[in-house]
Amino acid sequence: MPKAPNAEALFVCPYCQTRTADFEALKAHVLAAHRDQGAPLPEGWIRLAVNGLDYRLPVEPEWTLYELLHDRLGLIGAKQFCDRGACGSCTVILNGRPVLSCMTLAVECDNNRVETVEGIAQAGHPLIEAYANNHAMQCGYCTPGFVVAAKALLDRNPTPTEDEIQEALAGNLCRCGTYPQHPIAVLEAAAVLKERTKS
Amino acid sequence: MSGKEWSRMEETLDNLRADPHPQADFKHIGRRLGRRLDGVVKASGKAMYTMDVQLPGMLHMRFLTSPYPHAEIKAMDTSRAEALPGVRAVLRYDDPELPPSADLGGHVPSDEPILPRIVYFEGQECGAAVAAETESAAEEALRLIDVTWEERPFVLDDEAALAPDAPLTYPEMLVSNQYNQGLLDMLTLGDVKAGFAEADTVIEFSSTRRLHTWVGPERPCGVFTWNGDAPEVWVKQQRPHVCKRAISTWFGGIPMNKIQVHCLYQGASFGGWSQVAWNLGGHYAAAVLSRRTGRPVKWTFTRREDFFGGEMDEGVYYYKVGAKKDGTITAVEGTAVLGNQMWPVFHFLKHLVENTRIPNISGQLKVVRVNKGPTVPVRCEQNANTHSLTLIFDHIAAALGLDPVEVALRNDGADGHDTDWLNERKAERGFAVRDSLKECVTKGKAAIGWDENWHPPGTRRLENGRMHGQGFTWTHEWDDSAGSSEMAIRVERQDGTASILGQGADGGQDAEATYCQVAADELGFRLEDVFYNPQFDPGFFRMTPDSSTNMSINGFAIRHAARLLKEQILKAAAAPQGATQRGSFPSPFPGATPEDLDIKDSVIYLKADPEQKISMAEFVRPAGNAGPLVSHENLGARLPFSVPLFAYGYHTQTGTYAPKQPRPRFCRQTHFMEVEVDTETGEVLVTKVVNVNDVGKAINRAACEGQQYGGTYMGVGRGRSEEVVYDPVTGVMLNGNLLDYKIATLLDVGPIDTLLVETGMGYGPYGLVGIGEDIGSVMPALIGPAVFNAIGVWIDDFPITPDKVLKALGKA
Repeated sequence: MPKAPNAEALFVCPYCQTRTADFEALKAHVLAAHRDQGAPLPEGWIRLAVNGLDYRLPVEPEWTLYELLHDRLGLIGAKQFCDRGACGSCTVILNGRPVLSCMTLAVECDNNRVETVEGIAQAGHPLIEAYANNHAMQCGYCTPGFVVAAKALLDRNPTPTEDEIQEALAGNLCRCGTYPQHPIAVLEAAAVLKERTKS
Repeated sequence: MSGKEWSRMEETLDNLRADPHPQADFKHIGRRLGRRLDGVVKASGKAMYTMDVQLPGMLHMRFLTSPYPHAEIKAMDTSRAEALPGVRAVLRYDDPELPPSADLGGHVPSDEPILPRIVYFEGQECGAAVAAETESAAEEALRLIDVTWEERPFVLDDEAALAPDAPLTYPEMLVSNQYNQGLLDMLTLGDVKAGFAEADTVIEFSSTRRLHTWVGPERPCGVFTWNGDAPEVWVKQQRPHVCKRAISTWFGGIPMNKIQVHCLYQGASFGGWSQVAWNLGGHYAAAVLSRRTGRPVKWTFTRREDFFGGEMDEGVYYYKVGAKKDGTITAVEGTAVLGNQMWPVFHFLKHLVENTRIPNISGQLKVVRVNKGPTVPVRCEQNANTHSLTLIFDHIAAALGLDPVEVALRNDGADGHDTDWLNERKAERGFAVRDSLKECVTKGKAAIGWDENWHPPGTRRLENGRMHGQGFTWTHEWDDSAGSSEMAIRVERQDGTASILGQGADGGQDAEATYCQVAADELGFRLEDVFYNPQFDPGFFRMTPDSSTNMSINGFAIRHAARLLKEQILKAAAAPQGATQRGSFPSPFPGATPEDLDIKDSVIYLKADPEQKISMAEFVRPAGNAGPLVSHENLGARLPFSVPLFAYGYHTQTGTYAPKQPRPRFCRQTHFMEVEVDTETGEVLVTKVVNVNDVGKAINRAACEGQQYGGTYMGVGRGRSEEVVYDPVTGVMLNGNLLDYKIATLLDVGPIDTLLVETGMGYGPYGLVGIGEDIGSVMPALIGPAVFNAIGVWIDDFPITPDKVLKALGKA
């Protein structure tokens, strides 16, 4: 085995960056510590749980989470309206908290959990029906962002007041002006959730 | 002309009286619908917009934009951009494949350079387009293009453009910065001099409306690809037919039947880009680069690029108003200098003619070109009118110390005539003679508590320390304009459901559901048996709901199609079924004529004996995959095939935009606003708004209300905070983003009442008029009188921002 000029730096564990003196020692370390972990992620890749599904994804350093979800994974529910964190249309839930995916770098999301509007709809969340029933959309471009923000609210506060709903959705812009319908829809969804919990 | 054709023509000219099939009661029309037709697909993030389109191998294209407000490209070196990894093609203004100009869409066929070498506003797409593997590579390449610019003098201010020594802002196209001479520049009625002589009080004032814009949530974009020599195009366009028309003229001509246009859901643009001719420059450049690279090309504007352009009420207005003590207005004189209107065809005092009895009016409109983007109708072309009417009426009411509601009622009328004259016209046309303004006023006053809350200007301080104010305005409904529409309905095989065919172009108005309501009622179908796929392009032309005319034109087309289809169905039901070369089988209603039959809940039945019936599904079904089989006949069964059931309707009208108005408008709208003004910070809080719209006949209630509260938010944003700001020194736009250009949020308006009046006095089918443009247009200026009532000082400079309030209060 050729000897590298800086041998110590070459034998770095690809899982946890532990350094070993030689290749055999590295092999022993990997087998002992990381036997069940599958192949290590190449550099520039991240692991991301999206709507409960495990993804291993190559990401460029400048990609936003929005680009990753919308352009690479085809989750088009996240929408780009303002492109600078002013409108809420690209909102997704990251580790339980609503975030603006256009302002979040994808590389920073390694080992995180993301929930998008598609996941919320797929899980049969009552917000979707409530939004449709109450005409809480017109052109619909900003609607998924509202739904995600509302879902994050209901997750942490299943019985919000109208004021709390307004506060939670105040960061979402709607040019069609559908605002008055959103609190009505969210309250309806909260009532359905309550019924579901009872039964 | 046959009797039937004549009756049809009469119907379109004089709707209510000539309607051969008036509906006494409606099953679906006017009902509050449950779940929105596109509700689930939009709420769940599944609705696809042009921005979401990705095709295999697709390239991303972006434009070079001008850093100067007026300049000329003298030379350009694109070699560094072409060498950038990921860049696949660069299209330059001097490319041999680019013609000097082409039809790039807009209202009427245009003739525009595709990548202009000379620019007339900062941010204008010009000179070059880059297609690359990624958007960021295209962007980076644009920065590597070396341009030698020659700067030219520029003008940003409308009035400054009129100065004799002002530089020409568009020297290649115009010999003078004012360009509407002789084109609706003057509006004259009666004799203003005599009118002012009659007046007890004459006031003069001026107002300013700063530039504001559409802010469509989805940026302008498109995708172009070639299937052989046939283009396939995805457009974000309220009028897809305009794109198709323009594309058919490119490259020496492309047959219309080879052009496939997809118009998906659209992040609304409220008029906006859809009317700007050069918005198709993106498609043209993409078409060239798609052919050159053999790959689909998607073009986009950035958010900032979307900000160039705006609504056509921007400018300065001067008014002189004379009135008698009782509030009767005797004369109005006005001058307005408005900027960059692409179509200077709407005079700013037109509403005074259309819905008041003011006998003497004189207005001069000067439209000037300045070095900013074009202004076009953005919900809508009547903004200059609603601005003027509101301020004229509220200023004169205040000067006379009268309730503005009373002043409105006193001056209601049309074409210089009073309401008696108007009532005669209503009766002549077979309308119920109702006082639309009075009905709207009564409802609105009660809802806002107008009389209880009334106080002299600047006199009511609330417990929270803020000043209370309330404002009122009114006008007529103007949705009766020119347009054409063709729509069709087909009965589907197998289940007998009906599909509406019309050009898709969803902007969110829920128009599709409304067409279904009309078709279902006219056919006698269940509502769930009628569907309109808004993304389908069958090639039929339709007025899309942005075009100042939705139901007033499309409503006729769909209603007529439904009536013709019903005739067909009944004729088929009475006729022998399944005629083949081996024979035919009797009608499901032997011996009956079509007149003996009717349809209810999607079931055809014999009127004399409703128990004799057959559902639409049974009637058309089953559509066997092998076609008719001999066994059917051997068994004595009806052959599984009936006549194809398909009918189209169409409608075309000049409406009230005809040069000589053929028909006065009868439906009115009133709007009331309550504000609180913080005299320490200058902030204006809009605490309640009441909208009352006489829609003639409401078809889709939720859709009407959506336009009322939606328009309120847009209007309050425009009146309170929206302004596109330019740096006067460099001519560069300063706030082309949603952080610095503030549209209304959920917290910016208090409760909004959405009240409808239905007098049936509209020229549309069922006596309807529109509602979509009204509130967003009327609301911005209403903040003016409401703030005046709160602080006792007029701020006639819109938007009314806190700094202007403080200045008016002498605090800044």
